[in-house]
Parts: sequence; C-alpha cells; structure tokens
Amino acid sequence: MSSMDLIRSGYIKELLENGKRLEPRGINEFRQIAIKCNVLGNAEGSAQVDLGNTRVLAGVKMVVEEPHSDTPDEGNFIVSAELLPIASAEYETGPPSPSAIELARVVDRGIRAGNCIDLKNLSIDKEHVWSVYVDLYVLNYDGNLFDAGTLAVMSALATSKIPKFENEEIKHTESDEPLRVDNTITSTTFCKIGNKIVLDPNGAEEAAMSTRLTITTDGSCIRAMQKGLSGSLSIEDINNLVEISFSKYDELKKQIQSVLNR
Amino acid sequence: MSHANKPELIINGKRTDGRDFNELRQLKIEAGILKNAAGSAYLEWGNNKVLAAVYGPREVVPKHLTDSTKAIVKCRYSMAPFSSLSEHGRSGPNRRATEISKVIKEVFENVIILNDYPGSEIDIFIEILQGDGGTRTAGITAAAVALASAGIAIRDLVYAVSAAKIGENLVIDPHMLEDNYSDADMPVAVSPKNKEILLLQMDGGYTREELKKAFEMIFTAGEKITEVQKDSIRKLYESVSK
Amino acid sequence: MRKIVLPGESIQNGAKRINGAYVSSNQTYAAVVGMYDDERGTLVPLEGVWLPNVGESVVGIITYSKKSVYEVTLTDFVGGLIILDRYSREHFEVGDVIRATISAVERKNRAILERCEVLKGGVLLNIKSVKIPRVIGRGDTMIKQITEFTKSQIAVGRNGLIWINGGNIDLAISALVKIEKEAHTSGLTERVKQMLQAGK
Repeated sequence: MSSMDLIRSGYIKELLENGKRLEPRGINEFRQIAIKCNVLGNAEGSAQVDLGNTRVLAGVKMVVEEPHSDTPDEGNFIVSAELLPIASAEYETGPPSPSAIELARVVDRGIRAGNCIDLKNLSIDKEHVWSVYVDLYVLNYDGNLFDAGTLAVMSALATSKIPKFENEEIKHTESDEPLRVDNTITSTTFCKIGNKIVLDPNGAEEAAMSTRLTITTDGSCIRAMQKGLSGSLSIEDINNLVEISFSKYDELKKQIQSVLNR
Repeated sequence: MSHANKPELIINGKRTDGRDFNELRQLKIEAGILKNAAGSAYLEWGNNKVLAAVYGPREVVPKHLTDSTKAIVKCRYSMAPFSSLSEHGRSGPNRRATEISKVIKEVFENVIILNDYPGSEIDIFIEILQGDGGTRTAGITAAAVALASAGIAIRDLVYAVSAAKIGENLVIDPHMLEDNYSDADMPVAVSPKNKEILLLQMDGGYTREELKKAFEMIFTAGEKITEVQKDSIRKLYESVSK
Repeated sequence: MRKIVLPGESIQNGAKRINGAYVSSNQTYAAVVGMYDDERGTLVPLEGVWLPNVGESVVGIITYSKKSVYEVTLTDFVGGLIILDRYSREHFEVGDVIRATISAVERKNRAILERCEVLKGGVLLNIKSVKIPRVIGRGDTMIKQITEFTKSQIAVGRNGLIWINGGNIDLAISALVKIEKEAHTSGLTERVKQMLQAGK
C-alpha cells in the first residue's frame, strides 16, 4: 500500500462512520454502469463494460476442436483474464498474475454454475465441438473487476453468434444464429473496510479493504461465492450480503437485457 | 464434469463409502515429520495424503518484496504428478493451483501474527501426494499444524472442510466422486475461536436455507477436526521417561 | 498446575503481556504451543522463534565485513552487527565463529554485539532456540555436568548455536540432542547424567 493509499484509507473509514463514501453513493449502491456490445468486429461476441471508471472488455472467440475424452458429447467454455499494464500503474507485463487467474476463474465458475451455456448444445459431431473462449481484458482499473467482468462476459455471450461449420471450415455469415444462453447470472462484490461493508468498491476503497466477497446469483439460488484477501467474515456478514446480492439481481439483469434489445 | 454417466451417490440414505451425511472421513495427522523444515505435518484424510511444511521466518527473496514492518507470507499448493488416479499430471503450477495457493496464503496472512517477524518471509508449502477430493481443505488443516509445530506465533489453529449438496441432501467432506458430481461444493476455512470465516469458495447452487445449514454442518465437523489437530501437536510432547 | 496450551486457547482473563501470547478483546491467548503455569502466570514456549534480548549471550558466524562493520548470522531471522571503532585492534574474518553479548536490539531482529571473541576450531551444533534454557539448566547445572564429563569447551548461544571444542565431542553432541528432544520432561538432568556416565 502506498502512503497515498494509507492517507486515503483513513479518510474513507471516517466517511464510512457516517455512512458516506468518496462519491455521493449509498453503501449498497453500484456506480454508473454502461455496456456496449459488438465492439470487436473479428470476435464472435464482445462487450465493453464501464463500471464507474473501471473499464473491461470481453471478447468471445468460437473455435472448433476435438472434444475432451472425458466429455465426448460436450463443447468447452473457458474464461481467461489479463490485467493489462495500461490499466493501472500497479500492473506489470508478464504471464497472468494470481489476481488475473483468480478473476478469470471466479467469473468462469459463476457462469458455469449458473448453467448459462449448455455445453451439450455446443457439440457438432463425434469429432467436433465448439469451444467458447472468452478473454477478459482489463483496460482501466478503478476497483471491482469481478462485477465488471461478470457483466462483460454475460453481455458478450448474450450477443454472440455461432458461425457455421461446413467442410471443416468456419464460415461467418449474416444469418449466423445467436449463441444460446439459457440463464442470466449477476454478481455483487462487497468489501470490508474496518467493520463496515460496502458494495462495488472503487480503486481507493479496494486499497483500504481487508476482505472482499463476491456473490453470484441467478435470482433464486446462490450460484458462486469467492472470498478474497486476508480479512475475516462472520456468518452474519455473509447472510446479510447474500440478501443484498439477491436484491440487486433484477436491476443488473435489466442492464444486460437492455443491450440485447438494441 | 459430464453428467451423462452420473453415478448414484446416495443409496439407501448412505453415501458411496458408507458414511452418513454429516460424517467426516477418517483423519490422521502427524506433526513435526520433516527434519529440515521449521515446522511440518503429514495428514491422511480419507484417501488424501498431504504433506505441509513451513520455512521461516527467514530472509525475503527477492529483496525488493521485503516489508520492514511485518513478515510476508508465500504459499505454494501443488499436486504431485502421481497424485491423481486417472492421469499423470505435469509438474509445475497450473491456473487452479495458482488460485488455490493464493486463497490459502490469504488464510494464513490472517492468523500469523505478522508484526512479530518484520522484514522476513514465511513460506508455506502444501504438497498433495494423493488426492481424493477436498485437497485444499486438507492442505489448510495440515499447514495450520505445521505452523504451530514451527512455533510461529498464530492467533488460532484454523481448520478447513467442505460442505456439498447432492440432490436434496447436504453432505460434509465430499470425496472426489461426490465433489465432481455434486450440485454444490463449498470449501470453508474457519478460525474456531470466534467462528470467523477465512476462506470461502462455492460453486453450484445453494438456497439461503441450505447455505445456513451447510455452515452449521461445517462448524460441527470443525470441532472434531480441531481435536485431531490438537492431539497431533500434544503428541510431540508426550512424557518420555526411560 | 502446568499444562500444555495451544495457539488460540485462552490462558487468562484480562490483558497481560506474556511472551508467546497475544491479547484480544481483553483476553490473553496463547500464540504458540507452550507449557502454561497458572499459578505463576508464565508461558514457556515449547516451540518458538528466537527474538534477541539485551544481555543475552550468542554464538554466530561472520558473514560479511566492510571496514570495521561486521554482519553476523545468528538465526535465519535474526542478524547481528559488530561495529568496531576506528582505533580498535580487533579484527574478524568472514567465516569466523564468534561468541558475543547483545548490547542493543534494533527492529526486533537485529542485535548489536559487543565483547566478541573468536572461537577457533571445534564444531557447531544448531538446536532449537527454545530448548537452550534447558541446555543451560537452573544455575547452569545441566551445562556444567556436560562439560565436566566430556571435558569439552562449550559455548552456548541463546540463539540456538552451540560451539563444542575438544574433549569427547560426540558424547557432548549426544547429550545436547537428547536435551533438545526431551526438554519438556521432568527428571531430565538425572537421565542426562546417567547417559554421560555411561558414555565416558
């Protein structure tokens, strides 16, 4: 933590004592969300999400591969993430850091556990299946990559199209079918600062946090959870946050659906 | 995992290994088993065989990572190439092991009294020699004993265990088959003193009620796990009179 | 009454500064595995990481020298520093084994050393620092009986390093290893005496 972060974290804690945050925002309120889809012409699906000043880009590439031997009738779904050096002074070039790997795997698990993509539906024939590769590119970091990432991946998948596979070749046409997405999942990430818990932390709040909890839901069930960092949570904390997570489902789902209707 | 050939996991109210829903697999721990490490523990949990070793506090490598106010913690969770029944794994970290190493490190960054060892590094190594579901929770449970046997100041002896859902039923401590075909799996690490949650991951589907019940099962199982951990440490000091 | 306590176990109501314990919410808890004496309110760690204290006698190895400043390895965690003034006639070489006294402690893990003496020849044994008080014994009884029987020169460092020279080095090492292993038991002084007598 830099000395700037330490100074700000003291101030952030003071504000929270009075239920205030750095921005004029409630402790359980998301920042402004903006989603743009079909921003990458060469990808089968894409979405750019702005969550406050955090900006992430998700690109979907559909590739034909041989099925894995233990899942012969299923396609594949893989999420990867990169924290680009352009996104923050703290990010370095090199192979994915543990944080990038955690981000990818948490978003991946949320979508998988939510049964959003039926992998059986991606099977072409005995030797060919579609593999859906989703790459999450973090372009600007200002906190809460998990929720921005989940929104971006869900939105990109919701607007993806499956190319045609004929004569061992992938062909893109105007009449490509949309990728079938069966469910929508949403995620809410909370951070604990001192003994207060806030939703959707920005970068300064993340520098002050001791613990982070991401809860992913499909509106009726908790589909995935990930606690991060070295603070602790009580059962009461967790149960409260689950309730808030459910209460945010509809508003987040609306954001994703609004891009579909464009 | 493909659900095409999903096996029957619950037959006549019992699990495939004959356990009740709230029954743990057999757990054995031996502390202080490696002579060079500052602390160590060997753990057998069901068919899991896990070795945990602690080195430090020692000099930080590379030097620029040093924090002059407290110790830094590094953790390496690794599955040996011969640990899995079905395949020969490649050695070296993969993405899953990297994530697991990170979340386990975060557990111990909480319980180790880092300020006691400024400018140093404490290394935790968790080697999975044989895996059968629940390797990260077994690793955490073993590493806690290794830290205690190293005499590194810790706030509490943490334990970890998973709760899973099979159909309508909640079960504690799933083995690999149950883990692969379950409808939800939730590994949790707990500091038993105040029942604080230090590691929480979950995927699948839980209702709010199921989540609450799963935590209760975890706390109950935790009491037994803690006893085994404590016994393994006390055993090091059993009176020797010749 | 003495009993073994484990990390996280409560040893006293109220906040009390005890080595090897920590305070939280006005309760004192064990941080390491140790022997707690509830009558005396003391905790003797059975395992622990040595932290230097002024006045302690240590044994170390010179690892670095520049002009009249020498760095000394005491443990993996604690380093020692010898600062000689310009006019000092003392001189050490990298690799020298020395015995010294701690005159000051900086930042928990840096010991400033004085009254340094080079120990030539002999062997170095490294045992767990928490066991060293038992090696010395109450009123030096344990270490005295070892030197008496083995006729070895022995320098015991509170940091866990022990230098042994001359006499029956093997017997001395056996005795020290036995003490490390059985430090928490009673009747140890007598058992070590018997071992020394038998091994002569």
